[in-house]
Order: sequence, then structure tokens, then C-alpha cells
Amino acid sequence: MNTNSQVKTARQAGLGQCLKCHKLNVITHKDQRCSCCQAKVSLRKYRSLEYTLAWTIAAIIAFFPANLYPIMIFTSLGTPEASTILSGIKTFIQLGMYPVALVVFIASFIVPLGKMLGLIILIITVKTGSKVDPKHRTQLYHLVEFLGPWSMLDVFVVALMAAVVNLGFITSIEAGPGISYFALMVIFTMFAAESFDPRLLWDNLDNDD
Amino acid sequence: MSAEPVNYDQMIACPQCDGLSTKPLLKEGQKAVCKRCGGKVLERKRDPIRRTLAVALAGLLLLIPATILPLIGVSAVGLFNQASLLDCIAILIANDYYLIAISLTIFTLAVPVIRLLAALYISWCIRMQRITPALVHFFRSYHQLDSWTMLHVFLLGIMVSMYKLVALAELSVGLGLVAFILLLICSTLVSVTLDKHYIWEQLEAGCEY
Ligand SMILES: [Zn+2]
Ligand SMILES: [Zn+2]
Repeated sequence: MNTNSQVKTARQAGLGQCLKCHKLNVITHKDQRCSCCQAKVSLRKYRSLEYTLAWTIAAIIAFFPANLYPIMIFTSLGTPEASTILSGIKTFIQLGMYPVALVVFIASFIVPLGKMLGLIILIITVKTGSKVDPKHRTQLYHLVEFLGPWSMLDVFVVALMAAVVNLGFITSIEAGPGISYFALMVIFTMFAAESFDPRLLWDNLDNDD
Repeated sequence: MSAEPVNYDQMIACPQCDGLSTKPLLKEGQKAVCKRCGGKVLERKRDPIRRTLAVALAGLLLLIPATILPLIGVSAVGLFNQASLLDCIAILIANDYYLIAISLTIFTLAVPVIRLLAALYISWCIRMQRITPALVHFFRSYHQLDSWTMLHVFLLGIMVSMYKLVALAELSVGLGLVAFILLLICSTLVSVTLDKHYIWEQLEAGCEY
């Protein structure tokens, strides 16, 4: 068919690549250790799909309180005003600050949602043995992995604003409870991406032969 | 020529698709690409040890000014306040946002520092030919840290905060921001200069189990 089927995989040769030091180990038993760096080594990451799914579900659960609770409380002359992620973006638009509105909307809303969706797509395509080009799905995985830390943006903005804007009665900014859930959500999706084994995307090809 | 390759030390597997290939002999600055998925399998960097030593040392020197000097400040109606990275963490702790305080400390302080220290220590040990089994465990943990450094996200956070604050009060930029940007550059350069494959080769050759 194509060159893909001519390449032999390490798994077919009974070899497991160490994910830390890249050394190939002949896999003989469970809980084997790498002969070079002593890390745990196996053919594929242990229960990769189950762990990825579990972390993704945890992230989806945290997504709701993260968006419903205020992330920032702005107090001006004694009157507090709470804002959530979406209401904060709305304020930007009303003030005509479109570039920031776009950056924050992408980093704190689109990216987390996209990451969770991407992870679910990856899990489903592996489970159902999808024939979609594994090259594209590997690219999707790298995108999810790359985007991971960027959603922390809002957490850092709130932390910095709360520290800087501290002018007593005139104006002050405080963090809101939503920000903790938001940070949890980001960390959960990063764990999910870390648990996923991209080699699973290519295993369907081998099974055809 | 039909014989199966038996010597696994001469083989290498792709970390993304598990495709096997013979280990190419690379010159400094060259990289090898996977036949099956197009991902990078092996890379040899130029002058890895000396460059890493220099960059990691510079990063560590910048660390203290980047942490304790104020990043940005605001002033309104005669009041002035500025905040450093350390202030951000302190205020979060004072307001009982422990999860955010811990995340901020880990992602923008602990992980980058440990990475720089680890890169410096390992490069120095290899240069001095002092390879011990403990070093192997040490370098193995280094791999875990790569995806968890968020200096770049924090910088974007500073920029978004500045944009937000311009509308609110008079803004000033601290020396800490300059140090922070330079620290970010050094931290990024370490991942560029440090040659993991080379270090693992040296470690494996240096201590036989
Ligand atoms: Zn290993
Ligand atoms: Zn490959």
C-alpha cells in the first residue's frame, strides 16, 4: 500500500523503547526496568487510554465551576464587582480592547475546550480503530500537548493583578474562587496529555498486516 | 541480506510511532527524521556541554533579580504600588489561595530553577568526567520537568495585565521585568543547547550496571 507497512515497529520486534533515555529494551516481563536509566519500561504506556480518559473527565468537571464562579473581584471606592472569565471578556469588548479580548478568549476559553475535545477525539479514534491518517492525529496530539501550559494565562493575570492593584480604598483587585477550579482544569488536561501514548495512534496500521 | 537485525544497540525506535530504524551516524548539528511518521528520531547538537554550561549559569544569575525586583507598578491619585513575582505569591497565600500560590511557585519558580540547576550540574559532571549512577536517576527526573515550565505564559500574563492596567491607572515597568525576560530567554535556550541523546550516551558509557 504505502511505505508505512514496510517499517517494522519496535513492538513487533518485542522491543520497548524507554521514554526517558530512548534506549530499546527487550521486553521479557512486567514491571521491567530500563537497562540504561532504570526507568519503568514497557511496550506502551501503562493503561494509557484509561488514564487519559479519567483526567479528561476530571478536567470537564472542573470546567463548569471555573466558568461559573468569579475569577476576579474588583473593588472601586468600596463597591465590589465580581467578574467571571466570560464577563471579563465582555468588558474588554465593551471597552473596545479587542486584541486583549481575543487573546484572553482564545487562551482561557477556546484552548481548554479544544484540548478536551482533542483528547476525546484521540481516545475515540484509538478505541474504534479509526482509519484517519495517524499522521494528522499525531499532529493533533502535539497541538494538545503544546497548548497545555498556555491556558494558565488567566491564572497568572489574576495573580499579578491582585498583587499590583492594591491601592487600599481607591481600587483593589482580589482573586475569586473560580480561579482555583480553572487552574485545576488546566493541570488535569496536562496530566491527560501526558498519559496519552501517541504510538497507540499507529498501532491500528500494524494490526492490518 | 535478509537476516533480521539482532543488535538492538544499533537500532532506534521513533518515540511517536514506534517505527524501528538503524541508528544513523550523525555529525554535530544534524538530525534524523522517522521514515514512517516524519517526526524527529535523533539529533546531535553543536557543542552541547559548553553552551549549556554558559546559558544555565547566566539563567541562575538572573534568577534572584527576576524574582525579587518589581515587575510592574501602578499609581493613581498619589498612591503607588508595585509587585514582584515573590509579592504575587505572598499575596495569594495571605488571601488563602493556596492552590494558585503553589501552582505559581512550581511553574514559574521551582521548575525553571531545578531545570537550570540540573542542566548546569549534569553538564559540569560530564565535562569533568565524574559520572555516577546517582546522576542517571537525576537526569531521568529532568525529563519530567520539560512540559511544566511556564515562564513564557507568565510573560504573556504580564503583558495582558499591563494592557488591562493602562486603562485603570498610570503604569510603570520595573527592573524585574527585564531580568525576567532574560531569564525566560536563558531557560528556553537551555532546551535548545542541551543534547539529551548525547548526555544519555555519556551516562550509559560512564557507568555500567
Ligand atoms: Zn531508559
Ligand atoms: Zn515515527
